Amino acid sequence: MAALQMSREWIGIQQFPPATQSKLLEILGKYKEEDVSSLTVLVMGKGGVGKSSTVNSVIGERAAAVSTFQSEGLRPTLVSRSRSGFTLNIIDTPGLIEGGYVNDQAVNLIKGFLLNKTIDVLLYVDRLDVYRVDDLDRQVVTAITEAFGKEIWMKSALVLSHAQFSPPDGLNYDLFVSRRSDALLKVIRAGAQLKKQDMQGSSIPVILVENSGRCHKNESDEKILPDGTSWIPNLVKTITEISFNGSKPIHVDKKLVEGRNPNERGKRLIPLIFAFQYLLLMKPLVRAIKSDVAKESKPAWELRDSGSASRRT
Amino acid sequence: MGTSVVVVEAEVVGMVIFGGICFLWLFQRPSRTRNSHRIGILTDYKRRIEKARPCLLPGTVQREMMLMLRDERRVGARLLRKIGDRVNRWYQENGYAFAQVMNFGSLNSKEVVFEVVEGDITKLVIQFHDKLGNVVEGNTQVPIVHREIPKQLRPGHVLNMKAASQAVKNIHSLGLFSNIEIYPRLDEKNEGGVIVEIKLTEADQKSAEVSTEWSIVPGRGGYPSLASFQPGGSVAFEHRNICGLNRSLMGSVTTSNLLSPEDDLSFKFDYVHPYLDGVYNPRNRIFKMSFFNNSKLSPVFTGGPSCEEAVPPISVDRVGLKANITENFTRQSKFTYGLVLEEITTRDENSQISANGLRILPSGGISVDGPPTTLSGTGIDRVAFLQANITRDNTKFVNGAIVGERTIFQVDQGLGIGSKFPLFNRHQLTLTRFIQLKHVEEGSGRPQPPVLVLHGHYGGCVGDLPSYDAFVLGGPYSVRGYTMGELGAARNILELGAEVRIPVKNTQVYAFAEHGNDLGSSKDVKGNPTAVYRRVGHGSSYGLGVKLGQVRAEYAVDHNGGTGALFLRFGERY
Repeated sequence: MAALQMSREWIGIQQFPPATQSKLLEILGKYKEEDVSSLTVLVMGKGGVGKSSTVNSVIGERAAAVSTFQSEGLRPTLVSRSRSGFTLNIIDTPGLIEGGYVNDQAVNLIKGFLLNKTIDVLLYVDRLDVYRVDDLDRQVVTAITEAFGKEIWMKSALVLSHAQFSPPDGLNYDLFVSRRSDALLKVIRAGAQLKKQDMQGSSIPVILVENSGRCHKNESDEKILPDGTSWIPNLVKTITEISFNGSKPIHVDKKLVEGRNPNERGKRLIPLIFAFQYLLLMKPLVRAIKSDVAKESKPAWELRDSGSASRRT
Repeated sequence: MGTSVVVVEAEVVGMVIFGGICFLWLFQRPSRTRNSHRIGILTDYKRRIEKARPCLLPGTVQREMMLMLRDERRVGARLLRKIGDRVNRWYQENGYAFAQVMNFGSLNSKEVVFEVVEGDITKLVIQFHDKLGNVVEGNTQVPIVHREIPKQLRPGHVLNMKAASQAVKNIHSLGLFSNIEIYPRLDEKNEGGVIVEIKLTEADQKSAEVSTEWSIVPGRGGYPSLASFQPGGSVAFEHRNICGLNRSLMGSVTTSNLLSPEDDLSFKFDYVHPYLDGVYNPRNRIFKMSFFNNSKLSPVFTGGPSCEEAVPPISVDRVGLKANITENFTRQSKFTYGLVLEEITTRDENSQISANGLRILPSGGISVDGPPTTLSGTGIDRVAFLQANITRDNTKFVNGAIVGERTIFQVDQGLGIGSKFPLFNRHQLTLTRFIQLKHVEEGSGRPQPPVLVLHGHYGGCVGDLPSYDAFVLGGPYSVRGYTMGELGAARNILELGAEVRIPVKNTQVYAFAEHGNDLGSSKDVKGNPTAVYRRVGHGSSYGLGVKLGQVRAEYAVDHNGGTGALFLRFGERY
């Protein structure tokens, strides 16, 4: 596999504080138990939300280029790291919004990049410290759904970055988080047209991350969220849970990349459709026209004089 | 031949008192020989009357005359003349121009006999004249004129001028004659008979026409400049009434630039062959074959309102052959079915064959990987398909306003013949209902009724759909207030419209609302040109307008942008 060739030793783990390292290794042990040797995570979202920063935080190195002030380059990047027989592949992607519209070229490039790969987990990234959701968010979700199918949302998590955020006006932090995540989850359900039964009861998990150097740390020197959770192991744990949640991973084959061919849909039914049109539309219309002609009122001079033959008494 | 007798029997004296006058209407068919003046012996006369045929005078008028008689105690000459005038008046008013009361019968018997010559047609003659009035041998075969003549204008019927004017209308609709006249005249050989002569002057069979025109093309800055005047021209010929059976061959070649005609050359050759089932068969089926080409800018590849850069246009050139049969049930309702073979080429603005639309990148550059324009992917498609169209049109004019309903169903059925073996079923159903809201008296000069128009148009396609055949939303005949294609191009569309028309003085004022929707099928057109060119896929509009003669002036607001504009249009929207 190409990924294996490119993967390097996950040395970044060593720069985490020991508490984080041990938690991570414990989580990674689960994969060994289940005899899974690799995991592919796709990170997507609008531009400037913190996708590349999150990838770097998890990997522990500056593997993905962060473009703080301008739009990212157009290329998706695959970051592969192995540790004791297990390989983690994270794919960082360019932001999907360009100039106020969904950048179809970016979507196509991502699809092309993923050809013959299998996506185990999708991380949909957005910022926690934004108050509103708008139509652009829905368009991004729709674009992802149209590209990969709505099944991808069964293997997804909502990642909210800039989690070390003080809500304004003294709003309760947890309340703010739940409001923000509810708003985004609603957008995801609408944009992907998910119905209740699609989600099989379980909803998309929400993960909070804080990628900046200012992130508060606990006594064990782990990066923590305002509620005290160490978020890096939490992120990896949630990713693991998703990968084992029973839903099928998304395999990106040629058919998916080219898109379902709408020309083929229903083609087999065409003779039936034509027969239906002929019998139920064309024939009744002709019959209706003929009865219109028969019912048409004739002028008096026509009705009165039916010919000398019939006038004989 | 030719007299009918109206007999009024009245017991003038005495019977009145005893409970009613009995009236016996007897009808006599006279023998050929005479004017039956002579009443003859009662028995003879009664036998004659028994053999008679009914006259056309309806029962209501006869009852009227009965009442006139009943009111009088004596039947005098003045009363008889009055009844006679009444009979004459009825016949004249109802178009029987040659009907006349000939005689009042004897007053001596208990019967009063009125003899009426109704004007029975003895002969129908069809004559061809040249422009100077001389009788000539016509090219047109007589049976095709004969089938347009109502039954009532043939021997065995009474001459009615309304039937004659209907015959003139019908013959005129053949389009073969420059002059049609109907001359009824008295038949000298048969007393009381009428000979109907139809005199026809045939129009020119062959015509050829060359016309030129100047077209002003926008130059730099949008203003017309001298260097950009373009001379155009067309050559057309027509050969009509071939074999005298109203078959015709027409051809025309047009170019919009005579200086380099290959730039924009379009031609059209038609052959029309009516009376497919035979001249004597009442069914009217017409076979038509045409060989054509045309070139249009594709509204599928146009931008939405938010597309700041102009979208590079794509023109769709079609060359093809159509052969179909049309059955005309009425002047308005018909059923057409046939075969179409086409070669379609998509070109960019430099007339180069273009297999993909151009797409403007967010960075400002132009990429050539826009949506594919053709099914084959090469820019040239060849296809053969069946096409059928049924139009059921029961609309009529009430004081100048259209009232009634119209239903149109059209289907293009692909046969798997052509580039990439296209198999498809492309169908459209259009329903328009003009509902009269108030009853009005019909007549010239009377006011028009207020009318509510409800309109729906559904279009769908299953199977192979090339972009140039996608249904387009927006435009003066789709959703008013938007330019053609402004709302998008899709596989399935639904357009709805409603309009209320109110007569005001001697014009018409109306208010309308329209909506067009792609039913989510924009993405099912390969390459999704709706999204690529930043179009919304649906939109509504509403507005007001006033009809000024043939022109409609309307103000339409497009709901997507919230802006309104004034438009001037010709013709009808629905």
